[in-house]
Amino acid sequence: MGTLDELVLAIQDGDSAQASALARTALDEGAEVAALVERLSAGMREIGDRFASGEIFLPELMLAARAMQGAMGVLQPRLLESGAATVKRGVIVIGTVKGDVHEIGKDIAMTMLRAAGFEVHDLGRDVGALDFVRRAEEVRADVIGASALMTTTMPAQKELVDILVTKGLRDKYHVILGGAPVTPEWVEEAGADSWGEDAGKAVTVLEQAMSDRIASAGS
Amino acid sequence: MPHLKMWEIMERAAEGPYCEDDEFLYDLFLPKMKEVVRKYEIKFDPASPVPADDDLADRVWQAAVEFFLAVGVHNVDTHRRILISETELNEALYLAPEQHMVGAGQETRFWRPRRVEDERPPFCIFSPDITYDEDIFLQASMAYVQEPLADGVCGPILEESLGRNITSGTPSEMVGVMEHAMLLRNATKLVGRPGLFLVAVGTAQSDVGQVAASNNEWGVRSSDGRLIGVLTEMKTDNELLNKVAHCKQFGCAIGCLTGAIYGGYAGGAEGTAVLETAHHLVGLTVYQHNFNNSFPFHIQHTSNSGREMLWLVSLVQQALSRNSRILSTSNGFFNAGPGTEMLFREASAHAIASVVSGGDLWTAAPRHNKHRNYATPLEARLACEAGHAVARQRMPRAQANEIVGKLLAAYEDQIADAPAGKPFQECYEVMKVRPQAWYLDQYQAAKEELHALGVAFPY
Repeated sequence: MGTLDELVLAIQDGDSAQASALARTALDEGAEVAALVERLSAGMREIGDRFASGEIFLPELMLAARAMQGAMGVLQPRLLESGAATVKRGVIVIGTVKGDVHEIGKDIAMTMLRAAGFEVHDLGRDVGALDFVRRAEEVRADVIGASALMTTTMPAQKELVDILVTKGLRDKYHVILGGAPVTPEWVEEAGADSWGEDAGKAVTVLEQAMSDRIASAGS
Repeated sequence: MPHLKMWEIMERAAEGPYCEDDEFLYDLFLPKMKEVVRKYEIKFDPASPVPADDDLADRVWQAAVEFFLAVGVHNVDTHRRILISETELNEALYLAPEQHMVGAGQETRFWRPRRVEDERPPFCIFSPDITYDEDIFLQASMAYVQEPLADGVCGPILEESLGRNITSGTPSEMVGVMEHAMLLRNATKLVGRPGLFLVAVGTAQSDVGQVAASNNEWGVRSSDGRLIGVLTEMKTDNELLNKVAHCKQFGCAIGCLTGAIYGGYAGGAEGTAVLETAHHLVGLTVYQHNFNNSFPFHIQHTSNSGREMLWLVSLVQQALSRNSRILSTSNGFFNAGPGTEMLFREASAHAIASVVSGGDLWTAAPRHNKHRNYATPLEARLACEAGHAVARQRMPRAQANEIVGKLLAAYEDQIADAPAGKPFQECYEVMKVRPQAWYLDQYQAAKEELHALGVAFPY
């Protein structure tokens, strides 16, 4: 088994120290950094698929994501030096809305989005609508993701969209809503763009949204 | 009671060992859970959705105690761990009451802990666990309150008050919780059960909302109960502790609300069973609860009627019943909607598995607990009747395992794509607060199916 395969396995096993060490070894052996990152991302997508199918559970997913971050800490400087096009798919600001303290769904989505190559800024829980917008402006986000677990905190998702409209920023961001009580009907009523039915589907939806955005910018 | 004083808990919540979120998860929670599952040799057996292994149940208990004492409870506001010593836990277990008195007047109930395969019937709380439209809220509440086997009711949730959306932590919530409490109270009067034990109000998400609902005249009384959640997983915050402090001073019963997530931080069925048992220890010590409402659920299906879920639901109740006097209502979360054969089977399987294992019942949340108006009292009625029956006949776990296995065989392949069913308004004559004839026929057929499987209904 070559170093690259061992590295993918170390990430999938959630062994952060081993993943970082093998990333260094791979670079020392002359591996091409962009190809390396692409291969690791594919390995993480496989982990995400196994989580979505119930084959593995959240601890394995999170430890793998942590190991991936460790490896990327080694690879990122070399990637920047090389001038290779990054694999970043889009920038997302994500959080649980005001009044809601439930984070696990948002955290799973965040883990899978990072694994899929998105740059994710986590605002945590109990986040005010205006704070989402301010942070999105600050980091030049493409997407705002707002999660709510309670029916009585869902109105804060609409408040976020209303603020974007009021500030004339609505078209600047793709707004995705998630959380157990959220339905496609609510997404439409709130004026958002898409529904993150679960973490895996959120990744698919946002990959498509980013492709559409790039295509639309190019036309 | 009380063992630990409230201010001792509050001090630890503010001054316990400092611990940031990642440290709590990666350095404490995950490795300790892995360690205890391995050390106590806990292994899921798909052939036994209702296991009958006393030693396994005791090992789950031991694993939960070791996990709880080592990890503690994380206050996410202060980044402090609330730690309970082994002596304090043992003191709390020793002092846990032989009975709790809830409700008032003619509806007073003495709620006592049950044992595995106990012939005493379960304490039954009827609850739709979902939102209803404001204009049918009173009738829906009456439909639940009038159920003969209801020892208590947790009413529906309101999303609108006076036609306006309720938003947590705002004045709309203050108005909404008052409307909720008043309508539920009126429902008990109209049905002729004014003292019925109410667990309310679910509309109040915030601490101030809960405080606003406390009123012995028109609102939640000191003879009623409240639910206070533990955050995912083994976490709390100051707002939740505010609710605890208020309830202790107001004098109502505290129900600690816990739902360990299968496939989440605890991993599979084994870790989830240990975690959900440990959550009850959080309720006993940190929240100083009177009872626990336990709703472990599957991370993808958000239900607990699948094979692996019933195994862990049963095992948690056995671990608690064999080793403590902690009261635990086993809260059913199902996949199918009302008016379907599948929902009746799911609710019955969950009730039978819970009751022969020593649990009480809190039922039922159909259709993944997320669709407005999609719950009725009939699925809860059948579940509670089945629960009473298997208790009265002292059904052994092995027989329950066979029956639950047959019920599972009829629905488990539909879990991922369960039928949606019909809303309350199509299943009931709303203004007359009674089930439609076709719906009663469906319920009766489901009951006869259970009878043929060996459930000896008293009536």
